[in-house]
Amino acid sequence: MINHIEHPIIEIHDLTVSYDQSPVLWNVDLSLPSGKLIGILGPNGAGKSTLIKAIMGLVSPSGGYVKLFDKSLEEVRSRISYVPQRESVDWNFPASVLDVVLMGTYGKLGLFKRPGKKEKELAMECLEKVGMQGFAKRQISELSGGQQQRVFIGRSLAQNADLYLMDEPFAGVDMATETAIFELLKQMTAEGKTVVVVHHDIYSAVNYFDWFIMLNLHLVASGPKETVITEELLRKTYGGKLNLLTKVSDLIRQKEFNPLKN
Amino acid sequence: MSDFLYFFTFQDSSIAFVVIGIILLGVGSAYVGTYSFLDKKALLGDAISHAVLPGICLGFILAGTKNPVYIVSGAFFSGALATFLTSWLRKNTRLSEDAIIASILSIFFGFGIVLLTVIQKSGNPEMAGLNQFIFGNAIAILEEDLWIYGGLAVFIILSLSIFQKEFSLLVFNAEYGKAIGYPMGLIRLVFNVLMILSVVIGIQAIGVVLMAALLITPGAAARFWTDKLGNLVILAGIFSAVSGVMGTYISFVLPQMPTGPWVVVFLSFLALISFLFAPKRGVLSRYISRRSYLKKTHQDHLLKALYRALEAGKKNMTIEEIYEAYPFQKRESDQSIDNLISNGLIIKNQSIISLTPKGKSESKRIVRLHRLWELYLNEYMNIAPDHVHDSAEKLEHILTPELEELLENRLNYPKLDPHQETIPRDHDEL
Repeated sequence: MINHIEHPIIEIHDLTVSYDQSPVLWNVDLSLPSGKLIGILGPNGAGKSTLIKAIMGLVSPSGGYVKLFDKSLEEVRSRISYVPQRESVDWNFPASVLDVVLMGTYGKLGLFKRPGKKEKELAMECLEKVGMQGFAKRQISELSGGQQQRVFIGRSLAQNADLYLMDEPFAGVDMATETAIFELLKQMTAEGKTVVVVHHDIYSAVNYFDWFIMLNLHLVASGPKETVITEELLRKTYGGKLNLLTKVSDLIRQKEFNPLKN
Repeated sequence: MSDFLYFFTFQDSSIAFVVIGIILLGVGSAYVGTYSFLDKKALLGDAISHAVLPGICLGFILAGTKNPVYIVSGAFFSGALATFLTSWLRKNTRLSEDAIIASILSIFFGFGIVLLTVIQKSGNPEMAGLNQFIFGNAIAILEEDLWIYGGLAVFIILSLSIFQKEFSLLVFNAEYGKAIGYPMGLIRLVFNVLMILSVVIGIQAIGVVLMAALLITPGAAARFWTDKLGNLVILAGIFSAVSGVMGTYISFVLPQMPTGPWVVVFLSFLALISFLFAPKRGVLSRYISRRSYLKKTHQDHLLKALYRALEAGKKNMTIEEIYEAYPFQKRESDQSIDNLISNGLIIKNQSIISLTPKGKSESKRIVRLHRLWELYLNEYMNIAPDHVHDSAEKLEHILTPELEELLENRLNYPKLDPHQETIPRDHDEL
């Protein structure tokens, strides 16, 4: 069940990604509409994070390509914002909340230049949007999980992008933060921005997203909520890995080279 | 003493030169080292500093003298080769990082020692003092060499200051940097070059064996004192400069003494002081806060005992009853009573102890937190009533007013705890 659309904001063509030779995404081929809140669903190790990392150029595919706004990533990078997983950084790093949100302005600022008054004002605005304005001077090591997540989202807002790719923004946050973040994402899509979110909780996902990408090493489904949230597709997504696919992955891992790479 | 004055008043311009050099070198390497410490790459610094030895020897063999340009370039190239090999092996083999670093360190250093022995056997009269590169000798550095080392140190400090934002991004979240289009590979390369340079400038003063200590220890020690990157770098620089100067002074007073080990001794001393006495993170301050927490829990328990007596219809307790309630803790009990009296929470008349109005409200608060938490565990976490006491006994001392408010709301201002005891509130009759 894969819905392709005209004039997609993201077009992924036959994307295959391998880590240490073992393929974690097989031939993903999909296109996504703009202005939607899009959820990426799938079990642990299904390749959800890998998919957005591949879109962002952070892992290089062993096959296929990605087009954004009908262009290559390099041409439109300033219009895209990426929110990495909260656990991917060391929160003991000596920095304040404002320091981290300011990183969102680095893209436009470029190398060498230091953020000034204008950037600080923008960062404060973004902190306000995520309800963290009172924490600007706080050290990031003192934040709770939910607050860390808000800081990361605040940083990505400071990029003022059109397309947002977020890796598990709801992981390890309390209910109040989850609702607040969701409201914010909804507001962003109402303003015409597109938000793609990796999400692990199928129950809340049904209420949150307009469009779903369902992954389990391969693409199970991509389409609007009404057409893809079906028992059969959910079973295909969550009903264990395909036995044969896992066996082929194992076979490839045992080789000293990756036969999928050109 | 006269040595001390002679050294620190800088009457001798060559001493002033050495001191300025060692301060620059210390600040530069502490600056780089703080970043690599935060990046959890401390071991790489150790590998690089050992790995420059064969380069130093090759530089000497090629030049035939202790020409600083040859030696610095040789050291730089062998350090760079070691760094490159480390990352190449990590990418292209399945060896773990610690195994790679340990092998690189020992292979390069072993090769360096072989070369050093060959040079010594060759009988070249110029080779005297080449041993100094192992443990360092700051005093023996010639003025023209100092210009090179000092210049490189200034270059390192300036580069780090200019690229501060980029290096912070590299250490904190390199992936994000890549996502916003920064050339993170290039930034990592520049950082590695600065790190190798900071090792290279230290080889003559500190020596290859101990240079890693000058990179990592200042940042690690300073980390105990501050949470701000700016302060951290400055403090690390100060630690490093002070130790460097002190180590140099020892080499000056005792000419046979190598500088490196003494610098490390002073650095370790500063690190030990930080570890013991830094506010908040230091051992002493943690010990004190634990002590005061234990004191507070004891006082809380006394107040609770008085409140329970009140519940049982007794307006006060005798001091003997309190001693009985806490056997073997007579001294603590006396101390708690004194503290509670001076805080106006209880009054003592002869040996009869009773709660003041303020003490009553405080004792109610503690009992309330205890019973609210028991009820919460029972209702929301399905824990049996006879299993909830221990956890409540600990949490009653730390739950904040905000959490109390949340518990009250969540449990809808309950009247009874799971043991059917009243949850006390300020407006109660009791």
